[in-house]
Amino acid sequence: MVYAKWAIIVVFWATVGAILHYALPQHDIVRIVNTYEERQDLNDWTRMFWSEPEDQSTNLSSRDVQFIQAVRANGRPIVYRNEDTGWGWPPYFKFDTANLYTEANDAISSKDDPEWVVVTHYGWRNEFLSIFPNAISIKHVEGPDVRIIPWFNIVFLTVFFGLVWAIWVRWRRFREARIDPLLEQVEDGLYTVGDAIEERRSGLRRWWEGRKSK
Amino acid sequence: MIGALRLFVGLFVVQSIAYAVLSLYARRVRRRKLEERWDEKGKTGSKEAFVERGLRAYDRSFRRKLILGVYIVPWAAIAAVIYVVNYL
Repeated sequence: MVYAKWAIIVVFWATVGAILHYALPQHDIVRIVNTYEERQDLNDWTRMFWSEPEDQSTNLSSRDVQFIQAVRANGRPIVYRNEDTGWGWPPYFKFDTANLYTEANDAISSKDDPEWVVVTHYGWRNEFLSIFPNAISIKHVEGPDVRIIPWFNIVFLTVFFGLVWAIWVRWRRFREARIDPLLEQVEDGLYTVGDAIEERRSGLRRWWEGRKSK
Repeated sequence: MIGALRLFVGLFVVQSIAYAVLSLYARRVRRRKLEERWDEKGKTGSKEAFVERGLRAYDRSFRRKLILGVYIVPWAAIAAVIYVVNYL
């Protein structure tokens, strides 16, 4: 029972953590090398890692998606998709996909004359599932070593866990005041019944013992 | 724009539920605090009248109106996010 309880708690928080890790913005310092558009088939379960378009293509199982190819400061490649989130999940309200594509094309630079940019994005890159993080914005920076402080994430996570804590404390208080006494009452009731049975049984036994000894 | 409509209606429903729950909870906490205060030092006159008077003052107070932030804050946040993501 204790294992089941902990398993549920671990699975719950792992899910919350995964959703937050997927949906919260992250920053990469990269050099953009190219952009391309590619037709994507979107009719299996990985559909949920792509945006929900708000035009006629909602009903289509494949559509063109824009991509931004980049190289990180350590030389490793990263590819972003460039899609509107619209009014849907996650709530980035990104409508300027075409503008971002233009900015990305404007920021293309070569290895010899690198132009470093911070790409704010959410989502995961996974080669096996062929999923890509969605680029949100591009900002020029001095060099590959600038320090980025994720202010939004700091504030958001602080407020989020503050709220969780506040609700949890109140729930605990409520449980101690209302539900635990109720359970105790039930338990006491059970004990009373148990005692009554015990008494009766010992009475029976006495009677039986008495008969045997006669 | 059907997505926008879905968001607006959904958010409004969630906000209304949150507003109702928060209002009831805050009022109950207020009532408990008033009762505790009467038990501690008041003890003059009727406890019920004291609590009723306190709650009526609370209904008119600014603290009570702060709960309306449930409606205002998310819309302000959405407006801010739209501005930052698309225009900044």
